Amino acid sequence: MFTYVGCSFLDVHSVFILITFGSEIKMSKDIEAIRQAVIEGDAESVASLTKKALDAGIDPLDILEKGISEGAQTVGKQFENMEIFLTELMLSGEAMMAGLEVVLPQLKSEDVPHKGKVVVGTVRGDVHEIGKNIFKSLLVANGFEVSDLGVDVPTSKFVEEAEKINADIIAVSALMTSTLGGQKDVIDFLEQTGDREKYIVMVGGGPSNQEWADEIGADGFAETAPDGVRVATQLIEKRRA
Amino acid sequence: MIPIIEIAKRALDGKPMLEKEYDLRVFSPRVQELVKEYGISYDPDILVPSDDGLADSIFKAAIDLICDVGVYCKDTERVIAFEEKEVMNELKTSFDHAVFGEGMEQRTLLPRTPESKQKPWIFAGAGGVTVSDESIFMRLVENYARRIPIANAITTPCLLSVDGATIRARSPLEIEGSIRTVVLGREALRRAGRPGLPIMNAIGTSESAIALASGLHPDFGLRKTDGYMVAELAELKTDLDLLNRVALLQSLNVPIAGIYGPIYGGFAGGAEGTAVTSAAFHIQGILTYGASWTLCFPIHVKYTSSSSPELIWVASAYAQAVTRNTSVPALYYNYTAAGPCTEMVLHEFAAEFIAGVSSGASIETGGVAKGKYFDYLTPIEPMFAAEVAYASAGLKRSDANEIAKKIVSKFKDKIPDPPKGKRFQDCCDPLTGEPSKECFDIYHKVKKEVTDLGIDFLY
Repeated sequence: MFTYVGCSFLDVHSVFILITFGSEIKMSKDIEAIRQAVIEGDAESVASLTKKALDAGIDPLDILEKGISEGAQTVGKQFENMEIFLTELMLSGEAMMAGLEVVLPQLKSEDVPHKGKVVVGTVRGDVHEIGKNIFKSLLVANGFEVSDLGVDVPTSKFVEEAEKINADIIAVSALMTSTLGGQKDVIDFLEQTGDREKYIVMVGGGPSNQEWADEIGADGFAETAPDGVRVATQLIEKRRA
Repeated sequence: MIPIIEIAKRALDGKPMLEKEYDLRVFSPRVQELVKEYGISYDPDILVPSDDGLADSIFKAAIDLICDVGVYCKDTERVIAFEEKEVMNELKTSFDHAVFGEGMEQRTLLPRTPESKQKPWIFAGAGGVTVSDESIFMRLVENYARRIPIANAITTPCLLSVDGATIRARSPLEIEGSIRTVVLGREALRRAGRPGLPIMNAIGTSESAIALASGLHPDFGLRKTDGYMVAELAELKTDLDLLNRVALLQSLNVPIAGIYGPIYGGFAGGAEGTAVTSAAFHIQGILTYGASWTLCFPIHVKYTSSSSPELIWVASAYAQAVTRNTSVPALYYNYTAAGPCTEMVLHEFAAEFIAGVSSGASIETGGVAKGKYFDYLTPIEPMFAAEVAYASAGLKRSDANEIAKKIVSKFKDKIPDPPKGKRFQDCCDPLTGEPSKECFDIYHKVKKEVTDLGIDFLY
């Protein structure tokens, strides 16, 4: 990158420009390496490359936005196009988290761009989680902060967790007809405690559909995980507007 | 058969492992390694492969997979392990038939093989899709039995509610719903004049072991000659509640099915990995549940249906693998993208069952409109599906491939945004269940198309 710096015909100004240009290329190479490691789902490399980039003085916000987040978004798109599958998506999610653990302490919380905070979980009595896990991974890839409560989650736990992390969205999954009522339970619980307006409630999973979402008063429904991310984004933007 | 107590011991004492570790770092990479090791590859231009070597490679990879990664028990967070010698011995001594039904309806479910002229077992009906009230349940089951004379067994709908209260898992409503499903199903079959016909998805409405146990009391009408399904969880998993059901059902000496929905695009990866996983699930059912029949319903992670070309290939390849190499009958169940009273839903059934039956499987008529919507059922879809499946016996795989490809070309572009179709109430007589003229017109039109493509219907 610095090949031409020593050339005699270059004035000082040109040298400065070239050094700056060289640094930018170096920076973009470091960031590209982080982005690539996120895409490859290599958590160890993402953590070490992020630390190395910070040590080299690269702006943590650039590392976050152009390295980690862009890598995660690429993976999200690849999954949506079925170019990669769930394992790769989840490994990239882990790699992204490894990078965030290193870079976030270097940033002021107001500088960290995030689309919103989401509590996700599968209702009480239901142990299905693959759809919920895909939704969670795609949310993370798209810049949401996610708290995953797992499966067979008691109704009150959704609300407790939402309060704890100051969530924007509570996303409730159910895969069976006989557990679908658990989605309504969350809304009933929020209404009973007077907290319904505090949170956007989304529902999804096998037997859920728009009619059901309307019937129980959910704010959003999505047929697929990628649609769920779009709906979540739209609902948060609408609320913030 | 490995005793359920032995399986329980392994589930309780096996190697501890976090579920995420099993999914991401044990199961998933091993599937991909085996796909490469055995040179298994999916050709997007083929729906029904004719390559016996491919089928056998998928089967060998499935054996290696289950021996290498075991079956994961979610409750105990442990791996139920199997030795290769044990697996091979179990496969050599596993069931090769199961008897269902009573009196004039008693039949024996036998294994088939690819291109077999033996008629497939026709397990017809709702595929467990939910209906909103008991009268719709009754009309549908009566019509399945009346309109599908080639049906060997019935799959009932599930009930959404009892006395207006929505059924909840693990509640008394689930117990009552489970009992009513049996009572109503049996009564509907009596009214249809086929009281001996077996219900093979007993008990459709039960999700928990206690609900299953409640519905099993002889007072409610279930018989030992009905079918009993126990789920295997994606991918290669089980839990204690499911093993509890097996313990109960084995003690009652009834025909148990291991049923499983491998996910295309999930931890198994693409078409090749999903086919290997499907075959491994078949073996899992035999090993962990003592299954005398199995039922596979691969699902596309994005479309939540099974009619896309890669999934039809999975169903065909997996069916060939297990029917060429095991004696346990394999049934194939599908989820259509489109809903009732549409041409697309019938095209989907035709393509999937022509592929499945020519590949050695028998069938359960699947969930219409992805099994997602209440009351999106009519008697027409399982009737047509059963007729296509019955007529597909004896088809050469190469011919099935050409026919299926022509049919798939009619609907594959519509899979991302399929027509939802109509509810039972909107296209059937509520008092008799008689489908509307529109439904019959669509049925006759598609049946003629499929006939013109070379399928020789019995009637």
